[in-house]
Amino acid sequence: MEFELVIIGGGPAGLMAALTAAEKGVKTAIVEESFALGGQLRQQAQVLENLPKEFGKQSGIALAKFFSNKVSSIGVTALLGHTMIGTYRNGTIGVSNGKDTFPIYAKKILVTTGAAEQAALFPGWTLPGVMTIGAAQILLNRERVLPGKEAVVLGCNSISYDIAKQLRACGVNVQGIIEKKSIDEIDKELIEKFESENIEVFFHSNIEKAAGKQHVEKVWIDNDVLKKEREIDLVCISNGLYPVTEPLELLDCEFTYIENLGGRIPKYGSSFTTSNSSVYVAGNAAGITCIEGILVTASIAVTGILEDLAILNNIEAKKQKEILWTELLKAETGRYSKVHDARISLVNDFLPKEI
Amino acid sequence: MYINDHPLLESEFLEEITFFYEGKQLIAKSGQTVAAALMGNGIKVFGVSRKLQQPRGVFCANGRCCSCFVTIDGLDHTLSCMTRIEEGMQVFFNGGDPVVGRGGSGI
Amino acid sequence: MDKSTIVCKCEEINIDEIETALKAGACQFDDIKRLTRCGMGPCQSKVCTNMVREIIAAYTGEPMEHIEYPKNRMPIKITRLGVLVANQETSSVVSVFKESVSEVDTNG
Repeated sequence: MEFELVIIGGGPAGLMAALTAAEKGVKTAIVEESFALGGQLRQQAQVLENLPKEFGKQSGIALAKFFSNKVSSIGVTALLGHTMIGTYRNGTIGVSNGKDTFPIYAKKILVTTGAAEQAALFPGWTLPGVMTIGAAQILLNRERVLPGKEAVVLGCNSISYDIAKQLRACGVNVQGIIEKKSIDEIDKELIEKFESENIEVFFHSNIEKAAGKQHVEKVWIDNDVLKKEREIDLVCISNGLYPVTEPLELLDCEFTYIENLGGRIPKYGSSFTTSNSSVYVAGNAAGITCIEGILVTASIAVTGILEDLAILNNIEAKKQKEILWTELLKAETGRYSKVHDARISLVNDFLPKEI
Repeated sequence: MYINDHPLLESEFLEEITFFYEGKQLIAKSGQTVAAALMGNGIKVFGVSRKLQQPRGVFCANGRCCSCFVTIDGLDHTLSCMTRIEEGMQVFFNGGDPVVGRGGSGI
Repeated sequence: MDKSTIVCKCEEINIDEIETALKAGACQFDDIKRLTRCGMGPCQSKVCTNMVREIIAAYTGEPMEHIEYPKNRMPIKITRLGVLVANQETSSVVSVFKESVSEVDTNG
């Protein structure tokens, strides 16, 4: 198989990039390991408030549907159930479909593998019934199956807020949110949101242990004031996200470590080119950000790719990138301003090599 | 438990299909993953760990953690969270390592 | 925390085993990997990477950014030998894998 652009990962960043590239006539393929496109949008029932203008306000589920319909109508090759498992000696990517392994040739590779959820360590975390909060949301909204009936959530953050609310709407009793940090370290607005929903947050707490014979039945919350044993059948871990970068490692991209972008991250320039000049990165794989950030970074990367493929001339590309970087700055404000600052310093460090 | 009237989502008609778990006939909705089909039938423990024989089930639901292994249609260690349920599928508990090779048949 | 708490859930390696490896001279994740098989199971350290790194950081007193990540090797996702071997008739590797590849794995 041969394409001009191969995109690894069919989530929001990959789909956004595929659409733009295909509109410009680039022969594009998406390698997606799941049986459907959309990535983590597929279970996001919450309305995404700050999407780029052209998308208005819609839920992640609706956006995933919009993207997958558009992508299939525009002639992008969606390789569903395909996983990039390695690279050949000459740098060609190796893809498996569960039956066969074969190379896919591409002029440009865009890695949009997104983010994975961080687990959390406590005795009993390996028991069935203890799962990441994203897994609970997949079961709830994508599969329409209740992950449990009585739940506690580890981690007070915007993801756990959205999903705790959804769990409760579906009849799961969310007994409370357990947060390691003290109340002063958490965003006030977020605390108010939990309060207004009457979801209790135990600050300065941790799960001491979870136990159960076959699956989780009890948790012990380690709190100075509240040392309580709770009967539950679901523990959701919301311990943050980190970029999925395994394909970039195999593609010989250089890495650096930036806490505010989610830890280990590939080095990239202002067009999201990595140190391997045929490999680009975008979305959460280029640093954990908001949905707007995911979409805009994909647009920037695809602009760079179009420029490299001589479909856009330098002047046009430069103009577009300037507009998009302004958009990215706007998207990454407030609690994402640290992400943006980290990104800017990463890009500036990359500059000498790009020339 | 399957959520029939999802309060947050549009209602969707999903065809019921039958599959087998440990030989027992169960009902799932088409389009579901094997992991969800099992959870929907109240099955949370999908297998045991190799060394300590501790129970395992869904953890990441995203094909990364390998915690949800089951045997599907004779294929051991299959990711139940990444496989769609199909009519008549035979699903089995992941009870340990399979016996492979060395059976005299060559491959 | 209870030192018998499992960190790597594939190979079932606990905190105590990781700390013992560190005491024996392991400095980075890959050292611990070689000594204990931590992170060498089916998920290939996708779940435990940062938890192990945190244990290393706590033991050595180094900041997290100095704690190396384990090296990723192919295949980066769980892949059956039969799939890698692909076509049995023409593949030269098949004889090497012959004993480990079951009928079901290659055909299914």
